[in-house]
Amino acid sequence: MANARPAFDDLFAHTSRAALQADLARWPAALTLPQAERLRAYALALGPATTPLRLGIVHTYTSDLLEPWLALQAALEGFELQAYHAPYGLALQEATPGSGLVTHTPDLTLLMLRRDDLHPSFARPVVGLDDAAQERVRRECVMRLREIVTTFRAQPVGQIVVTLLPSTLPAALGQHDAQAESSEAAWWSSVKSALAAMLRSDCPATTLVDLDDVQAQVGRAAFFDRRYWYSASYPYTAAAALEVARRVVAIGTVLKTPRAKVLVLDADNTLWGGVIGEDGMEGIALGPEYPGNAYVDFQRRVLGFQQRGLILAMCSKNNPADVDQVLSDHPHQVLRDGHFAARRVNWLPKPDNLRSLAEELNLGLDSFIFVDDSDHECAAVRHALPQVQVVQVPRRPVDVPGCLDHVARLEILSLTDEDRAKTEMYAQERLRRELSEDIDRSGGSSTDYLARLGMKMRIGVDPAAHVARLAQLTQKTNQFNLTTRRYDEQRMRQFIDAGDTLVMDFSLADVFGDSGIVGLAIWRRLGGGRAELDTFLMSCRVIGRMAESAFLAAGLRLLAREGCTEVIADYLPTAKNDLVREFLPRHGFAPDGAGRWTRSLAQIPEDFPIEVTLASDAPAPTAIAA
Amino acid sequence: MSLYERVRDVIATTLKVPAARITETLVQEELPAWDSLGQVNLVMALEQTFDLMIEVEDFEQLKSVPAILAYLDRQGVR
Repeated sequence: MANARPAFDDLFAHTSRAALQADLARWPAALTLPQAERLRAYALALGPATTPLRLGIVHTYTSDLLEPWLALQAALEGFELQAYHAPYGLALQEATPGSGLVTHTPDLTLLMLRRDDLHPSFARPVVGLDDAAQERVRRECVMRLREIVTTFRAQPVGQIVVTLLPSTLPAALGQHDAQAESSEAAWWSSVKSALAAMLRSDCPATTLVDLDDVQAQVGRAAFFDRRYWYSASYPYTAAAALEVARRVVAIGTVLKTPRAKVLVLDADNTLWGGVIGEDGMEGIALGPEYPGNAYVDFQRRVLGFQQRGLILAMCSKNNPADVDQVLSDHPHQVLRDGHFAARRVNWLPKPDNLRSLAEELNLGLDSFIFVDDSDHECAAVRHALPQVQVVQVPRRPVDVPGCLDHVARLEILSLTDEDRAKTEMYAQERLRRELSEDIDRSGGSSTDYLARLGMKMRIGVDPAAHVARLAQLTQKTNQFNLTTRRYDEQRMRQFIDAGDTLVMDFSLADVFGDSGIVGLAIWRRLGGGRAELDTFLMSCRVIGRMAESAFLAAGLRLLAREGCTEVIADYLPTAKNDLVREFLPRHGFAPDGAGRWTRSLAQIPEDFPIEVTLASDAPAPTAIAA
Repeated sequence: MSLYERVRDVIATTLKVPAARITETLVQEELPAWDSLGQVNLVMALEQTFDLMIEVEDFEQLKSVPAILAYLDRQGVR
């Protein structure tokens, strides 16, 4: 019997969850429930040990039947799913202390809502409403969702994941909807934008998972199972359930695993087909024809990941000149030299190269995603550096462009300007390093180097506009961080609004560019002329420029001006913050005998090669909230 | 594997009960895990395992092992 389909049992040949997941992401047929169950058990047994993923589900349609799919996707991500389903309906009573949901202490709370939970108007064709009524419904939808999310947000329910079930019926106007002035599709997309804007500005730690996009991906006809929908209020086909579950679990992965920061790409058979050292510029597959077009698309996809804030690096076994030539001269090469923050093109073992990339970029190896086609290289990296996530590039060129799409750690929950500009900043860092090396060679000192940079520090005081970035900094700064306290946006906003805390941040500009916001200090005024340092952290990309000292001094001066005479600080050691072990003693703090550090504000140094300005023009918090 | 054994395995995996609890005469009421939700799950599992499209009108019938075996027999599943 001729059968081109891969056999289900072949999936059980995979020896890692990552490989199983990658294969499943390309699986051509819908899985059956018993198959999902078998795969889940197999994935759990593959190791390494799983951690729990605690999920709370609030639902206005049947949610239990989604659980096997959530459990499968969780297992593939190395989680053991622990789900709590609230009673059927929009159970706002679950948003109270002591409720089933709150005592479940979820990592994620999934809101499975229908459109008509937001507004009764969805029960009838929206085209029947005039413009003013449509606008009113849109506003009321936004208010309603804000009310629902805010109610849950007031309790410790983890990240809130909002989903809205697409309409089970096609547009009232049929095909003409696309062209109609009162188009339902256009109206709904405007409602969705308004909801998203509200979630961004008013609802910290909340993620919208767009089921319309799931429906587009699996196909409208393949999304709803009308039999289950009408008989049991359960909407999804197996294909839809698998994809909805994948997207929800991915949010859990992003929250519970180290953040991915660097995408390290191989070159041959990854960025292009073939081997540049053997096939030459004319011979490699890269261009408008198959299979070169697949590699062009993959490179475009990689540019998309860069937009998410990932840093690109290259690690390739090749002669450097060959790769240089492709990057600079190949007419169809998308990624050029400037796209890569660092490169290792040599014949050294790849684990060695990854270690040296981590050192150069000043980032932990657990933030690396390594992408390579070779069985051997993938195995070598998995073995030597288990903290690096390895993605093997598929053999068939048609599978290459999508090969990173299922990697949950590449998803992001927010996007700041710093994220977008990150590779550029690392490229500037490369120029600084080169300047420093030049000065070294000509016998200059590090003071000469710092003076040449022409640094300008801009300090924000209680900068309400930076809440997202500051929360993100507490989440991902591990090395230069005295106390490693993690705060979400909501908590950060409270610090900024509160009168007894002083939040300061800074950005640093020099002749090569602007760092964006890279440092944070949270001071707590204790009264009686004393203050304590709750948080002091800095991104490693501005290390070695005395910025930390200038920033600390600016904070001390501000407190002294308020009448403060003494500050207290802590160093809380972790596996990663050894870098700041000596920070407090080096900056005039002395042990107080009880495990903490104190410093008088009698003398505060001022001589830094940095021009400091205090951004007193920062908009007041109330202006932002309005 | 006989048809009964295959059905037994589908019920056991779907409702997460040991296969030994399932007999050729089992009816829904005898198995607490076989509740209304378990029923929908089971229908879904049966149709996917045996490559069938079960009509919504038939969902209600399939509430015992004999009924399931008889239904599969009518559908020509051997």
